[in-house]
Parts: sequence; C-alpha cells; structure tokens
Amino acid sequence: MPAASLIRRNESVGQPLLLSAAINLDYPGRFGVLRDVRLELARGEILGLVGESGSGKSSVALAILRLAGHKGARVSGLLRLDGRDLLTLAEKQMRTIRGKEIALVLQSPLAALNPALRIGAQFEEAWRAHRKMSKPEFEREVKLALQMVSLAGHQDVLRKYPGELSVGLAQRVLIALAILHRPRLLIADEPTSALDMITQSEILGLFARLRRELNMAILYISHDLLSVAALCDRVAIMKDGAIVECASTEAIFRSPRREYTQALVRAIPRPPVRVDDPYEPAQRGEPDAHREERPENGARALLKTHQRAQEPPPAGVP
Amino acid sequence: MTALRMVAASTLALIVAASIGAGAVCRRGYADQDREHPNEPPSREHPLGTDELGRDRFSRLVYGGRVSLLIAPAAAAISTALAAAIGAATAALGRRWHRTVSAAMDLFLAMPTILILLTARALLPLNTSPWLSIVITCGLLGCLGWAQSARVFRERAASLLASDFMLQARASGSNTFRTFVAHIVPNLRPAITAQFWIATPLFVLAEANLSLLGLGVSEPAPSWGNMLRELENYASVPERPWVLAPALALLIVVCCLHLLLPARSGTGSALRGGGAVCQPLH
Repeated sequence: MPAASLIRRNESVGQPLLLSAAINLDYPGRFGVLRDVRLELARGEILGLVGESGSGKSSVALAILRLAGHKGARVSGLLRLDGRDLLTLAEKQMRTIRGKEIALVLQSPLAALNPALRIGAQFEEAWRAHRKMSKPEFEREVKLALQMVSLAGHQDVLRKYPGELSVGLAQRVLIALAILHRPRLLIADEPTSALDMITQSEILGLFARLRRELNMAILYISHDLLSVAALCDRVAIMKDGAIVECASTEAIFRSPRREYTQALVRAIPRPPVRVDDPYEPAQRGEPDAHREERPENGARALLKTHQRAQEPPPAGVP
Repeated sequence: MTALRMVAASTLALIVAASIGAGAVCRRGYADQDREHPNEPPSREHPLGTDELGRDRFSRLVYGGRVSLLIAPAAAAISTALAAAIGAATAALGRRWHRTVSAAMDLFLAMPTILILLTARALLPLNTSPWLSIVITCGLLGCLGWAQSARVFRERAASLLASDFMLQARASGSNTFRTFVAHIVPNLRPAITAQFWIATPLFVLAEANLSLLGLGVSEPAPSWGNMLRELENYASVPERPWVLAPALALLIVVCCLHLLLPARSGTGSALRGGGAVCQPLH
C-alpha cells in the first residue's frame, strides 16, 4: 500500500491544510534515515508521531524546521507550509518562519534553556528574532504568553536562571517562549518524557488548551502512547525512518492494521484496576492468558482517556 | 582555608598598592645612580642595599612590581582573549576550518618558544626604549600563550553549539550572529575568567624568565625578572642574600595568586569542569 493512502485527514477537524510534507533525509554515511515520511497537518490539529528511539522522529522535527543541515544532513522531498515551499526558501526567509510560524519545544526543558541567561533575557532574544524591541509591547506579550501557560502569577521567573526552576516550571517557560509569536505550528519533540506523571498530565492539558485558544496545530512527537492517546487527533506510527500507519487515534488503538502497530498497542500496560471500564466486566484474578487473547485491553482504557481529553473542560477550569 | 585566602588577598593588595604608590613609598627613583656607593649591603638609607650601579635595590623592587604586575595580567588578558576568540570561531566555522586551525595550534605548541622570542627580540633595534620593551614583552607573551587554551575553548564552544538550547535558539529564528553573542559567549565566560586567573601567575613567571634572559623588559626599567640578573654571579649570593629579594617577591605574588584562584566566584566550578588549562611557558 503506498504511503500516501495511509494518510487520511481528520474530518472532525475540518480545517484547511497547514503543513504537508514528504521528507527524505540522509546523513553523510547513513542513508535513508527518513524515507518518504508523509505528514499532513490541518490547522489546529494535533498529530502524534510515535516511534521507538532511533526511528527518526526527531529528524522529522529538524527537517521541518530545516535545521537538519547543522548535523550535516541532506533533506529532499516536499515541504509545504500554507502552500509555500519551505525547501526552496532562502535561509533568510526560512529564519522568519522559524519561531514565528513554526515553533519547537524540546524534550528536556533544562537543557533547552540557556543556563547562563536569565529567563527574561531568553524571552528578549526570542522577541528580537522577529520583532523590534519596544519595552511596553514586549512586556505585555511576555505577560500574555506566561498567562497562557498558567504562569500568570509567576512574573518573577523572568529574573531567574533556568537552574533555579523546577522541571515542570521550566517546561512551561519553554512553551511560553515557543508561543510568544503565536506560531501556527508547534513541534513538540518528546516534551513530556522528562517530566513526572502529574506534571506530564498538566503539560498535556496545557497543549490541548493552547490548541483550542490559539488554533495552533501541534506535531506531538513521542514514544509514549499514553500521552499520545490523551492528546492527539491522529497518530502516525514510525518505524525505521518510514511511516507505517497513520490514522485517527481511535482507529489506531481500536483497530490497528499494521503488524508493528498491533505490537505497539498490545504492549500498552493494562491499568491495574478496571472498575469503571464499560467495555468489559471486572475480571481480577483471571489467568494471564486472558490478556494475550485480548490485546486491546490497555488500548481501550487509553481511548477513554482520549475521549475524556477531547471533551471541552467544565467552565471555570483553566 | 578562608583565613589563608584573606592573608593572600591582603598581602597581594599590599604589594599592588605599594607598586602603584611607588613614588610615595620610595625615597629614590629606580634609575637614580649613587656612584659613590655601589654594591652596598642593606642600610638605613638603602633597605636592600644598592646594585653595581649604585641604584637603590628597594626602589627598583617596588617599581619593578609595577612592571611585573602589569605585564602578567595584560599578557594573560591578551592570550585568553585570543584563545577564546580563535577557539570559538573555529568551532563555529565548522569542519574545514577546524583542521586548518588545529594545525596552526599544533605548530604553535611544537615551536620552541624561547627561540621565537630570541628571534623576535633580535629583529628589534637595540635602542628599543624600556617602555616599548614592556609593551613588546607583553604582546609576545600574549601571542605565544594562546594555543593550548584555544583548544579548550574550541571544544567547549563546539559542545555548546551542539547543545539543545542552541537548537532551541535557532528554532526560534535567531540569526547565527545573535545566537553566538547571546548564547555562546555568556556560557564561555566562566571558562574565560578561570583561564585568565590561571594564566596570570604563569605570566608573572614567564616575564621573569624572559627578563632574566635579557629578552624581556630592558634597562633601566626595573622588573623582578631583570633584577634577578644579578644572580648570574651566584657564587656571591650566600654573602649577600638580599639580592634574592625579587625572587622572594615573585614567590609571594605567585603563591598569593594561586591561593586566591579557587575563591573567585564561578572560577572554582569552571576549574572542576575542566574549563581551563594551564599553559606552561618555558
């Protein structure tokens, strides 16, 4: 089956196409790191890119930002943002897109923030990359960005160094930096894998809210199916530099078509307690063989998380 | 340890203050010759005696401190700045330059420094003024001392360039120059400070070595190094141990600088992190 036919636009989102890519990427001496990786993102859509480490997920992020060249990589294929061909764009124009239209959030917030600069100075650098410095405007926008990541009462972080922040706080700061210019596409490369479970779920909630409020598309790169299920509209499964399967979250977890996807879904750990599972009665104490017969047990529990996450939050909850 | 640092700091401060206020501390100029009383032992008039030209050794010691304590930090600043600039630029310019500059560094490290200094000084006219000789000594030391530490800066800058926060900065649309100035330089600062403070005592000694050989500061300007040339007649040293005063001054200053080194903020951690390297000159 050709890769293109694996891709179906999520009808429920129903927004115009933002990004379409078909990326080939080679490193010197290592060819085919990415082989015709086809991705399409509608505006305001969250696409999960899942794969084991080394499958090329992060290379996709670099290729879309056209930053893979710093590691000596060669990118070819097709890369369109709003109909503009990014691959043929001059570096200078590409720079006006980075940070302004496509932003990046990396895995480890403490490594992604410059340890020698105060947070405020890092906001200033991000601002200067695209806008002229005007103090009142800058301060207003930074305040707004901090508000959007639920750091409204934390103006004092601007005077701090990254080392003085907790990981969760630093990740929020990093996201605030990324959305400073209200990008249309946010690439989040394993943004939660360095966080503890509680902070992780807070950050996932934050992504969902940002998408709603800013109509921002998110390419959510992760190896963690749990967070992908909770957040994404569609999921693309990657293996060895190629996309194996791409479908709505529901379809991926309920009826995975490819063998690799099936193996992934089967590997999701079953929640220990299933009292509130409407799909099946509680069956504690049954032999383990049962689990083998019903591979989608864990996946079903995940889907519920997914459905819950898609519902609009009750009024009054930030 | 803190008490020891306090002692070192106050000793150094005292020496620096005395050198700066040499005019007030000394009754005689460093070049005033008292032809009637050459080679005198210490007396009330001449606390450290006189040299063979009848110049007051104490005055020369105090004024010499000016030269020694000025040249060393200046040379350290020059070599550190060169090393940081060349190292960081090499890292930024990528693979092809990497090889070229590495070859230059190896060449610099392989060259016999004394020979270069001899050649350089031989090319200068004999009647070079003492003050020009100070500037030249300083420049030569600074230019010869960069290679080893440049390597450290290159590695440090290269690892910074490959860091996540640089990727983040590029992804935010900053241009290459801005990312360099805003993100690389502040992160190199601890290493630069550490390198400067490590290099300073080494350059105090390097200046002394050069002047001792007659390649550094020239007469009549005094420096602790060229005052030690009196030791050429070492057989007479036991009879007049006071000629060792400049050596003692050097010893005290270098010890104090080394004692103060880890106390400086930021320097300690940079030293532990391998941020700097000692560069033994001569």
